This record gives sequence, C-alpha cells and structure tokens, in this order.
Amino acid sequence: MREKSKKAKATQGDGGNEQKASPMVLAAAWFIPGAGHWILGKKVRAAVFAAVVVSAFVTGILLQGELGTPKPQNPFSWLATFACFGNGILYLTRMTWLNGVGGFLAGIPFDLQGGGNPSVAGFAYGNTFLYTAGLMNLLTVLDVSDIARGEKS
Amino acid sequence: MDHLALLLWHALLVSVFFAFLWRQTAKGRRNLFLRTFLIMVIGGVLLGWLMYPFP
Repeated sequence: MREKSKKAKATQGDGGNEQKASPMVLAAAWFIPGAGHWILGKKVRAAVFAAVVVSAFVTGILLQGELGTPKPQNPFSWLATFACFGNGILYLTRMTWLNGVGGFLAGIPFDLQGGGNPSVAGFAYGNTFLYTAGLMNLLTVLDVSDIARGEKS
Repeated sequence: MDHLALLLWHALLVSVFFAFLWRQTAKGRRNLFLRTFLIMVIGGVLLGWLMYPFP
C-alpha cells in the first residue's frame, strides 16, 4: 500500500501542478444539464447541452417512455437506471412526481415506479430518448472534467 | 406518430450534441453535425429496409 501511494505521489510529482476538477462542479454538471460548462465560462456549449438534454428528456416523457428503475429479477434494469439517472434533476423530479417524496425515498431501490406505458407505440422510442438524454448528460460531466483539468479548451 | 420524424429528431439532437462536444470551431461543428446526422438518418432507413424481410 505504501509503495503504491509513493508511486502515485511520484507520478503526480513529475507534473508538479496537476489540476483536478472540483467535485462540486462535476456534481453541478450532472445535476443541472449545462451547469458545469456554464460555471467554467463555456456558456454557448452550456446552453446547447442543456437544450439538447432537456429536449430529449421531454420527448421521452411525452412518448410515454419509462424511466429506468432497478428490478431484482432483471440485472439489465440497473444499466437502464444508470443511463436515466444521468439526467440529474430531471430524473429526480420525474421520479418524485410519479412516486411522491415519501414513496420515492421509501421505494429505493426496488419499489419505484418509472412511469411510461408499454402498450403505446412510442414506449420504446420514449425509453431510447430518456436513455440517450441521460448518457449525453453524463458525457458532459466528463467533458467538464477535461476542461477543468486543462486537457481541453 | 411518425417514426421517420422521431428518427430525424433523435438524429438531430445527438448530432448537435456531439458536434458541440467534439469540435471547437464553427466549421468543424458544421461538418461533424452533417456527417453524423446523415449517417444516422441514412443508416437508420437502410437498416429498416434490410430488416424488412424478417418477421
């Protein structure tokens, strides 16, 4: 363990002033689409990312898509949950809307309702939009990390 | 519900997103947007036709 930490220190020491992204900025980037870029002064990108993520999310909801929630009999549901959880405040707001505050907190992890209607034609399309929105928002978090560390302008 | 409209809308959103994520200049963004958008739309329609004979 000591050797590992020494190695890690040495690797960092070579660069001297390796920058790290603030956890608060990364959390903001996840929680509010576009917020991370906005904080870093990339306002055009922030506006575009926010518009794209919110548009995709709203389209998914309007198409009666279902937000991913963990289901004990379906391991793949965790992947869907991860993708949808990437939507940040949009996911939390929709889940609270569907389950109520008490129901949302009490239902974690296996007793949550993700909404949606599998019998309508747009269900699968809606799911795709919801997953895409969440994954795009998670990619913006990685982008914010790159910008904050100076690896990207 | 028009499936083609949904395909176009999805391709538009994703293409705009990646154009702004991966390119810094206006020209680079425009080129990447057009390439991504066309690949997604034409590829989607082609795949749809290829899947047509299957049940």
